Parts: sequence; C-alpha cells; structure tokens
Amino acid sequence: MAMNNIDMLNENELEALFEAARDTAPMPSQALWDRVHAGAEAALPTPHSFARTQPVRVGLLAGLIAAIGGWPSLAGLATATLAGVWIGFSNPEALTDSSVALLLPGLSQTETYELEDFDPGLNGFSAMLEEG
Amino acid sequence: MDMALDQNGEISDEALLVAYGNGDREAAFALTTRLTPRVLGFATRMLGGDRAEAEDVSQEAMLRLWKVAPDWRQGEAKVTTWLYRVVSNLCTDRLRKKRGVDIDAIEEPADGRPAVTSRLIAEDRARALIGAMRDLSDGQRQAVTLRHIEGLGNPEIAKIMQISTEAVESLTARGKRALAKALAHRREELGYGDE
Repeated sequence: MAMNNIDMLNENELEALFEAARDTAPMPSQALWDRVHAGAEAALPTPHSFARTQPVRVGLLAGLIAAIGGWPSLAGLATATLAGVWIGFSNPEALTDSSVALLLPGLSQTETYELEDFDPGLNGFSAMLEEG
Repeated sequence: MDMALDQNGEISDEALLVAYGNGDREAAFALTTRLTPRVLGFATRMLGGDRAEAEDVSQEAMLRLWKVAPDWRQGEAKVTTWLYRVVSNLCTDRLRKKRGVDIDAIEEPADGRPAVTSRLIAEDRARALIGAMRDLSDGQRQAVTLRHIEGLGNPEIAKIMQISTEAVESLTARGKRALAKALAHRREELGYGDE
C-alpha cells in the first residue's frame, strides 16, 4: 500500500471518492421526467408532409370544356356543329337522284317513290296523309 | 423497423434519435430514459451540486436534442458527445453568471458526523468530492468529471471540450492533484481514518 502523504489523498483514496460519486448519481425527479417528456412531445417532428398544392382556379369555359372531355372532344363537337350548319343551309333536293336509285334499284332516276317503297308496313299511309 | 445496435446489442442512441426525427414517439421515450440521468449527473457535478439548476440545464439540453433530431447528420458525432458538450456549455454559462455569488450558500456537503453504513459513507464522500470540485477551474472540473465519474476516454473528452487530448490530460492531472490536496484534511470524516 502506498504511504499516505498527509497533505494529499493518495490515488486509491481519490478513486474511492470518484466511485462514491458514481454510485450515488442523482436520479431525475418526476418533475424532470415530465418536463423532458413534454419537451419531446412538443418538438416531435411530423412525417414530412407532401407539398400542398394550391387548388387551381378553373374558369367557366375551362370547366365546361373539362366536363365534356377536354379539347379532343371539343374538336369532335365543332365538327358535328359545322356539319349540322351545312346540312341546315343546303337546299333540300328531291330524292330522285342517283343515291336513292342506289337504295331502290327498281326505280329509275326520274320515278317518284312512296313510303311503302321503303317499308311495306306503311302501305296506305301516304294516301291517308293526302286525305287528311 | 431495423435499427443500428451498439456494442451492447441495444439500439444505438443515434438510431433512436433518427427515429425520433422521423416522428417516432417511442424513440423519444427510450432516449429520455437512457440519457436524462447521465445528463443530470453531469450537470449536477458541473454545477457544484446545485440540483435545481442541474434539472433546468438537463431539461434545456434534452430539448435541444429533440430540436436537432430532424437535422441530425449521422456518423459525424456520438449523441452523448454532442449532449455532454451542450450540457457543458449551458453549465459554463450559468457558472459565469453566478460568479461573485457565494457558492457556499449551496447545500454544504459533509456534516462531519461519522457515517454508519456504506451507503452513507458513499453519500458523504460524493458530497465532499462535489464540494471540493467547486474550487476547481471550470475546465478542470469538466475534465475530471467526464474522465473519472462519467468514465469517458480522453479522445471523447477532447471532442466535448474542443481541446487537444494532451490538454485534457493536463486538466485532469491538475484537477486531481488539487482535489487530493483539498480533501486531505478530511480523511477521517471520509472514512479513511482507520486505513
């Protein structure tokens, strides 16, 4: 055993003090536990949220276009509209042309036809219309 | 979730901190249980046994840990090293503000009566040590506490104190010598009388 220097603790004596300090380490009070837990709760990061997208303001026209299926369907609608206008403005022609002759091969181009020619079930319908 | 384990087979402090940073509440509970006593012990010794102040420092240090969690850069520093440094800085700030205040007003450690059990002897010795450590410089007290009570190695202490390992060794040696001198006249009271 090392000789004691009366003016100084020896290494073993000093180590015994450190050991005592380790063995008697202070334990947190309940209040400290609570405060630390509260801090952890308050600072708890939330999972990274996705970037919020601002709602896009949609105008009335854009809304209507979207409602019918977008620009492609609008092109189809425009085509149909133009076709309707063209049909409306065109002079009606007698169905004695070659196209009708194609439908009813038995008629010549100058012959007239009756509804019964297209549908035999309507036999007499034209006469009834004429009589009123 | 798989987490990195430390040498004791436990989930490492860093893995828990990263988990907390990702919103894991239970990781915070585990870290609190593991680290708060260490933080409090170190703060208490650094502050010369002022328990109330040490609890305030501990709360602040842990709060800073929670706040740094989302930005924690893995692999750069040990969580405990970072935490000891924060506690050290907080204690140093408080000690500077208290300069000039009568530190003897803090609870007097030893009462001089012989202890009857080993537990009481240990408590008396710990109080005497902490009391004597008040007279050390901040650096000596910090180095001695981290080395001989917290049980850290000199390289880690050097990182905490942001000084060289040689400087740590010097502070520790001078601190121990000062303690050995300061407590020599209390041998009997510390239970060394019969040795």
